[in-house]
Amino acid sequence: MRKINLILILLASVVFAQAQVLPEIELGAKGVMSGNFENNNTIASSAVSDFSDSQLLLGFRQKLYNNWRSQMVFGMQFPDADSDLGQVFYNHVFLKLENQKNIFKIGRSTTQTILNEFPTLRDDDALLFNYALNPFADGTNTQDNQYGNVIEYTHVHNQRYWLTFHGENFTNLSEPNNFDLNAYGGSFLYSVPESQRWDRAIIQRLGVSYNNYVDEQTNTTGSDDLLSNILGTVTLNLRPDPVHFIDLKIQGIYNQGSNTVDRMSTYSEYVRMPSISTFGTIRYIYRKLERPFLQTSLGFGYKTFVNLNESEQLIGIANVFYRIGDNFDMGFQYRYLSNRGQTELLFGQTEHKIQLALIYSVSQLFNNQFDTRNSILNLEHKYLE
Amino acid sequence: MDRKEFLKYGAMGVFGMTMLPANLFAQQTKTANKSLFPAALPFSTKGEWKEFEISIGITEQTLAPAMKIHTLAFNDMVPGPEIRVKQGDKVRVIFKNNTDLNHTIHWHGIYVPWRMDGVPYVTQMPVMPGQEFVYEFTAEPYGTHFYHCHWGTLLHMQSGMFGSVIIESDDDPIKKAFPYEREYTLIYSAHDVNYIRNELNSMLERMKERSFLMKNGRFSAERFNLFNTKEELLESINNGYQPPYLTNQRTSAELPIPNWFTVNGKSYPSTPYLFIKTGENIRIRLINAGTENHHLHLHGHDFWMVCDDGVPLPQPWQRNTVSLSPGKTYDIIVEGNNRGIWTFHDHDTRRVTNNGLYPGGNLLALVYEDLPKKERMVGGMSNMKMQGEMNLLPKIALDE
Ligand SMILES: [Cu+2]
Repeated sequence: MRKINLILILLASVVFAQAQVLPEIELGAKGVMSGNFENNNTIASSAVSDFSDSQLLLGFRQKLYNNWRSQMVFGMQFPDADSDLGQVFYNHVFLKLENQKNIFKIGRSTTQTILNEFPTLRDDDALLFNYALNPFADGTNTQDNQYGNVIEYTHVHNQRYWLTFHGENFTNLSEPNNFDLNAYGGSFLYSVPESQRWDRAIIQRLGVSYNNYVDEQTNTTGSDDLLSNILGTVTLNLRPDPVHFIDLKIQGIYNQGSNTVDRMSTYSEYVRMPSISTFGTIRYIYRKLERPFLQTSLGFGYKTFVNLNESEQLIGIANVFYRIGDNFDMGFQYRYLSNRGQTELLFGQTEHKIQLALIYSVSQLFNNQFDTRNSILNLEHKYLE
Repeated sequence: MDRKEFLKYGAMGVFGMTMLPANLFAQQTKTANKSLFPAALPFSTKGEWKEFEISIGITEQTLAPAMKIHTLAFNDMVPGPEIRVKQGDKVRVIFKNNTDLNHTIHWHGIYVPWRMDGVPYVTQMPVMPGQEFVYEFTAEPYGTHFYHCHWGTLLHMQSGMFGSVIIESDDDPIKKAFPYEREYTLIYSAHDVNYIRNELNSMLERMKERSFLMKNGRFSAERFNLFNTKEELLESINNGYQPPYLTNQRTSAELPIPNWFTVNGKSYPSTPYLFIKTGENIRIRLINAGTENHHLHLHGHDFWMVCDDGVPLPQPWQRNTVSLSPGKTYDIIVEGNNRGIWTFHDHDTRRVTNNGLYPGGNLLALVYEDLPKKERMVGGMSNMKMQGEMNLLPKIALDE
């Protein structure tokens, strides 16, 4: 009875709170539909409609007392057809508290396993090259590397320098019900806000991060082993021109791995094998009439294994996106993947993948009531709480 | 602590010390109150010209205690400084644009030469970022007028780009009919602060991009949405150009719906007081520089409406409510014949709100300076325990 009362009180207070201040509501949706044609050595396959990476995001933002803001985001994503995540994967369920200089975030969200955003059709198109891979997963679901249960603190200095400390609980297939932190790390980012795009100099973003997975399995002494990844990234505006824009993005990952691994016959060994990988893109955007109209990019990645001579991986991506209406793009992407040495046994020798896609992405803010930290007004005319 | 109680303490804590006009009749209140009316802009005399300097920038405006917005402001103030000249004066205004946006100045109700009228692309090119434009005209006709930006008018006017122009006459017909010493200018406006913020941000971003291109001499009619003739526009449309109203449409919910209402750039409880003495006439110049109709009503008095758009009325109208529509100016005379503290407010009480909460907005008070102290006491409200100056009226109410 007491419990029921408590629940009633909580419900009542929630209703009361909503009657006071209607939050800002952000609705985001992205639909990526592609027809895929793959050729993996001798096996040719095709998928008529691949809608993975499509997602729906719902966010609520509200002003708190003393100039803090809160945000709750709820997001669902439709994973690859061959994943074991079910029909829907909840990629975002988090709460965020922030003021001008501090950000706290807790819940399911994107992890700090990548330091940049690359212009590929889907976020995970070059996953083996541009993510610090989750060693507790089996490689089936790309989401295991991209999302986790996170707790993060970021200090923002001078509106451009972001220092973050974070801990994560990544999906661990051998212990699916263990929600302890199994990774932690920190990053430092210099990033020019998007709203400053026509004033910006050549350097758009510089970042380094240090991520550690706490591995309980790899040694016999009983103590935990740290699987560390060091990431570095740079984005250069080679041509910061409003009409013909060109940028270059590069990210490198040094995976220290575990020295107990000496071959790669399983995925688990693959992610624990010390490696160096790089991925970079060069992108051209034609902005007709103040909106992006055509975007094309070339991407290359290379991964080598420090302790192995013959093994390496190579990726090449070329794509073009054409805007057929506001929020709506048509895209074409070709991806080439080549594996040599021990990676060949894991991933096959070569793969060609051609994708034709339609992309719809929209973000709408309802009941807007305060500014974002990176707006021109806040950045150039004194930050308003 | 429930909400009412919280508000009560909150109100006392935040506003009690600084805002409560317990010292309403003190000299320092009157001095501070003066700053709530537009001050006449000093000029320099250049031959036969009275030369004024006005610049435009982006600043922070405090609408009500603790409520700040980013806004456009002439000489860092909202409203802009008052231009007060004598009828027939040669007026020169050097206008400097210190923002990344385009602007002009339109002289509302003044017989300026047409090339001085401030309508972009009709009478002049817009005054672009960093540029200067010199407006010259003869001060005609007599009366209460105003100036405002005429570029992106819907946004720029509610973002603070307005100010009064008072053209005086040595032989003032109003002063003859109603001898007065003190006068007040009240400029009304209405603001959708979310619209202002979002539009300023997106316009600034667009203008930065355009300035970048302009600097390199890369003007393009379609990119700038600016055509020499209607034929040129039609030709572009035939070639696949889509006008912004096709690709960038707004739903009606995104059109500005004002949620803050100001008098001289302030909402209640920051609005100015109108001081008067028994037996005194005061002249109030009412200017509507906003987008809403304001049905201004004075308690306890009739007033004389003496000028309409600056023009002296052959027969002053006696009334207690006046409907001040957008772009209009009225001059009214209040005769000090009913001692007290009287409110003067929009009778469309939706405009007596701050962000939807009553009271707020364009609510202000006519205050008799000669009101005896004993008449300012609350008295009789035994359940409200107040000491010292706390039992004086008026108080600041924020939640009714
Ligand atoms: Cu303007």
